[in-house]
Amino acid sequence: MNSLAISTEHLTRSFGQLVAVQDVNLRVASGQFFGFLGPNGAGKSTTIKMLTGLLAPSAGRIEILGLDLDKNPVEVKRQIGVVPEGMALFGRLTGAEYLNFVGRMYGLDRETSAKRTAELLEFMQLADQPKTLVTDYSHGMQKKLALAAAVIHAPKILFLDEPFEGVDAIASGTLKAMLQRMISRGATIFLTSHVLEIIERLCSHVAIIHRGCLVAQGSIEELRAGVEAQSAAPERAGEMSGATASPGEKLTLEEIFLRIVGGTRLVDQELSWLG
Amino acid sequence: MIVTPEARGQFEGIALVRWQLFINSLRTMRGRLEMVSRIFIGIWFAIGGLGGAIALGGTSYFFLTRDHAEWIAFLLWPVFLFWQLFPVVATAFTETFDSSNLLRFPLSYPSYFMVRLVYGSLDPATAVGSLWLLGLCIGISAAERRLFFPSALSLLVFAIVNILLARMIFAWIERWLARRRTREIMGVLFLFLIISFQFIGPLMARLGHAQERQFARFAETLLSFERLLPPGLAASVVTQFSRADFLGAASAFAVLCAYGLAFLWLLNLRMRAQYTGENLSETVARAGPSRERVSVRAGWDIPLITGPTAAIFEKESRYLLRSGPMLFTLFMPVIILLIFRLTPSKSGGGSFMNNVPDFAFPIGAGYALLMLTNLVYNNFGADGVGVQVWFVSPVRFGEIVRAKNLVHATVLALELLLVWIAVAYVFQPPSLSYTVATLAAVLFAAPVNFLVGNLLSIYTPKKFDYGTFGRQRAANTTAFASFLVQGAAFGIVALAFLVGRFAGGLWTTTLILLALAAIAFASYSFVLRRIDAIALARRESLITELSRA
Repeated sequence: MNSLAISTEHLTRSFGQLVAVQDVNLRVASGQFFGFLGPNGAGKSTTIKMLTGLLAPSAGRIEILGLDLDKNPVEVKRQIGVVPEGMALFGRLTGAEYLNFVGRMYGLDRETSAKRTAELLEFMQLADQPKTLVTDYSHGMQKKLALAAAVIHAPKILFLDEPFEGVDAIASGTLKAMLQRMISRGATIFLTSHVLEIIERLCSHVAIIHRGCLVAQGSIEELRAGVEAQSAAPERAGEMSGATASPGEKLTLEEIFLRIVGGTRLVDQELSWLG
Repeated sequence: MIVTPEARGQFEGIALVRWQLFINSLRTMRGRLEMVSRIFIGIWFAIGGLGGAIALGGTSYFFLTRDHAEWIAFLLWPVFLFWQLFPVVATAFTETFDSSNLLRFPLSYPSYFMVRLVYGSLDPATAVGSLWLLGLCIGISAAERRLFFPSALSLLVFAIVNILLARMIFAWIERWLARRRTREIMGVLFLFLIISFQFIGPLMARLGHAQERQFARFAETLLSFERLLPPGLAASVVTQFSRADFLGAASAFAVLCAYGLAFLWLLNLRMRAQYTGENLSETVARAGPSRERVSVRAGWDIPLITGPTAAIFEKESRYLLRSGPMLFTLFMPVIILLIFRLTPSKSGGGSFMNNVPDFAFPIGAGYALLMLTNLVYNNFGADGVGVQVWFVSPVRFGEIVRAKNLVHATVLALELLLVWIAVAYVFQPPSLSYTVATLAAVLFAAPVNFLVGNLLSIYTPKKFDYGTFGRQRAANTTAFASFLVQGAAFGIVALAFLVGRFAGGLWTTTLILLALAAIAFASYSFVLRRIDAIALARRESLITELSRA
């Protein structure tokens, strides 16, 4: 068993009466490509914000690389990279200025920061707009810049919230290759995405959060085995749509996900007037 | 225009959704407070509208009974200027309508045009302007009953011309404001305009007497042009009709209608472009991949400070340097000194500062500090959604805040230098004792402002774009608190100057202020040491407030 990169104990977060995340115990081993799934409003973003220090938990404990986040926030932040919600860019800097700035915030010296900035701009195909302000970048370009900023200090853990949203196919391929390379070098990646095919292709382990509670956690194979073992109601199989594999076929992650969160609809619930 | 059942349903739908938005806004305390303030503002406008209508009606009655129908134009010009300028200046009272939301619905162009025109015209300027014109019409008709029809007709067309012109101006301004560059240029032009207004008084006072004849000739030329513009034409219809010159009245009316049609056409140009899905995005087009290896210049190297502090210093400086309007406000102290220099006193012996030039540097320095409050009291406003970077980076919040204060202190130092040079050039070089005493006062007032500013930046942040001018206000709490702090700091400094005057001269003042500066700096450091905990406790509200669209 690898050492744990991320672990939480009874992690809870409430907003007034609403309990957004409840008693979550996450275990992410070092070097894992970890997918964090859940329906809209399940608590994914709240969890990722707590793990990266953007939101204080109401209760529970977070350990990143063996360090208590509450007690060692600066040490933890030095070792993680984050693409926060909304990308958190400074619009009135150029891409190069922004990356340079982030590099130095993570303690890189001037020369190293400048060198890595140049490499990242080229890698992300952003080098052809040296004088353009970030605010004038397209959404996809901003996304790539935010990703570049998250890796400039070679973090040991990378937190990505919907990293492929709005990124074109070419850039998406480049990014996936970069993330795979990071994994092969021992980094841990914690990823949320609504595109389950991407998670299935990239991640070795996943956790599913539903209505604030962690409802499943493990490797995709373990989850598949669990779901198959639990599907003991064959009379319902015909009523379900979109969540059933053909006999002999493996369940896809989407099917596993739908089974676990119960996100299926009966045929008679369909909208008849849609034609 | 025939209103089809579909169009009627769409109008009803839009009216309903606006009503629901209003009702839903009352769910929050902020929305309810907004409602209360709107009621007060509404009462204020109602008083202004009715009062103005009575005053204009009475005056027009007076003019006509004294056989001065041609003076009606003098009443229509203020109405016209208010109608056109008020919505531009007081954007806070104007409803903005995002047309892009409507474009996804199957709305015909005439329906779209009507919706934009009608909803855009539901503003205080239209309400007050219409009331004033109604008052005018009543006043004219009461004086001469036979003028009811021509005055009602010409004032109705005048009102339509005003509505169309106001909408047209707004539509074009909206178009220019849609792009960052034109927005910034307009911001600077607007500032120039405001500053130019400040110079009118002093320049008129200086040049007015000598150029009286030329001025009269210029005014005469202006009046001949005035008759060709909408207020002059509307007045002309009434005047000519009262003199039984029906052809002249009809001609003036025809030209007034032509103005209306021209504004309608220009408005139509904008509306049509919006309706057909005009894209004003500034997003850059992708260029081909670059063949040359990119070289990136290393960040600023600032001696004696850490890498992250230097990086923040560089980032903040770049933000400031790229902000025309913000840079402009920083030059205001020098401009104010120039205005003071040009303003003659009532006795004609030069302005207050011309008589007591020693005070020019302290006053200029105080004004420089005042101008800096935009930055100091809303430290994170310009960061917007980027504020999250401070929370995910491995740098203590105290260091971030200190770096930002360092930039503000540097800007203040540069401004003081600029003010000193301006005072020396415009008045006379400030004496050593005044210079030292003023610097001691700044050493006291700056840390006090930084201390309170840092706390308010965390407790009551407000998203702020340095690049745009207007439409942006600090949080009310911040404005109120900064007003109190400035008042208290200036009061204490004034007291220290007063004590110095009666006991020992300016060097006593300097000693008092230096002692106060030491206390202020200790308090500033004390709060800075605790700012990490404060920022972490407030991070959610800080991020939420600054991430708002």
